[in-house]
Amino acid sequence: MVRLKSRYLLCEVCVSDRRNLSLLDDRAIYTATKAAVARAHGDYGAALSSLGFSVKYLNAHTGIVFLRCRKSHYRLIWSALPFITSLENRGQRVPCFLNCLHVGGTIRTCQKFLVRYNTQQLHRMLPLCQSEAERSEIRKSVLSCTLKKEADDEEEDE
Amino acid sequence: MAVFMDLNITYTTDKKRLRSVIETAAHLGYSTVAINYVVDLQQKKQEIGKPKCVLELFDTFPIVQGKSRPIKVLNRLTVVASDPSHFRPNAEYKAYDLVAVYPTTEKLFHAACMTFDVDIICVAVIEKQPFFFKRSPINGAIERGVFFEISYTPAIRDSTMRRYTIANAISLMETCKGKNVIVTSGAEKPLELRGPYDIANLGLLFGLSEGDGKAAISTNCRAVHLHGETRKTALGIVHSMKSEQPLTERQEKEDVPASKRAKIEMAQ
Repeated sequence: MVRLKSRYLLCEVCVSDRRNLSLLDDRAIYTATKAAVARAHGDYGAALSSLGFSVKYLNAHTGIVFLRCRKSHYRLIWSALPFITSLENRGQRVPCFLNCLHVGGTIRTCQKFLVRYNTQQLHRMLPLCQSEAERSEIRKSVLSCTLKKEADDEEEDE
Repeated sequence: MAVFMDLNITYTTDKKRLRSVIETAAHLGYSTVAINYVVDLQQKKQEIGKPKCVLELFDTFPIVQGKSRPIKVLNRLTVVASDPSHFRPNAEYKAYDLVAVYPTTEKLFHAACMTFDVDIICVAVIEKQPFFFKRSPINGAIERGVFFEISYTPAIRDSTMRRYTIANAISLMETCKGKNVIVTSGAEKPLELRGPYDIANLGLLFGLSEGDGKAAISTNCRAVHLHGETRKTALGIVHSMKSEQPLTERQEKEDVPASKRAKIEMAQ
């Protein structure tokens, strides 16, 4: 049985200014990644990235992206990710960089990693908070990526 | 999860920017960074000043993502030289944790590999390599424990630099077979840093194998750090400790097994 295997790259978009994060959308990341792969690997890279490449999930509050690509070529696309310097969205240019956190074979494994990562983030960020309101807000936005609700979130974003 | 290090953060007099770079590095998962002071000895007698005390930058160092320890900041000196006579003064070098040299001529490269008392030799990334790498000085450097550094930030900034970086890196790999290589950023802004797994993957572009790529940012960097520490000791036996350094460093030094200590003595 031929099974089409893919790899899901879990990336975090890091910006210097947190307010710009909400401007992101998946088309911007898609075009930026395709352009970077085309620049780094030429026509071959551009052709490969048109096969089975898509942005599966984007969380504008925390800046988490799932990129899906074929298992045979994911290294090539991954190697072009460091060269992305900015994202273009509706005429506005946001300087940022993508940090790849995890590579998984399925969305479920990436989600499991994401849950662990988010709990670590909570541990890091909560002590730095000044007020109780900030604390509860951070808790809410970070814990919104749980496994149970993931299907809902995905449907919302797509 | 190994210990990742980024050993090249360009020193700027702007404290806020330096601070944000180090915070970003901690967020990305680097356990140790080194602030790089570049000195160009060709221009009329620049002095090698003392490095700024690291404690001035932060009251509390930012905690590394994924671990519970704060990030460690070292000082590093890079000497851009074209003449072997430039590289003699030894007194100020003791104040820095790491010493690097950027050779611009073939003769200096040979001398730096075989005789100079450095930890890192920088490979040119912003221009076409003016000389070819020969196998004999590189093998000599590998035996002594000197590492070759490739910096990746010029590749991110500009397309022509990218070509030079990749070309020079691949020619280095052909001669050294992937041993004793570290990959560092030369970041001046926090947006120029990249995560450690991304860099290990970039190593594939540079001709490193997968294991070598991961080693280039973790185990090799740690070896460089230890190499720099042994320079402060007299033949690896006596360890003088600065009062602001934490106690764990001395324990680390004493834990070095006897066989390694002997090798360090011979390398001196």
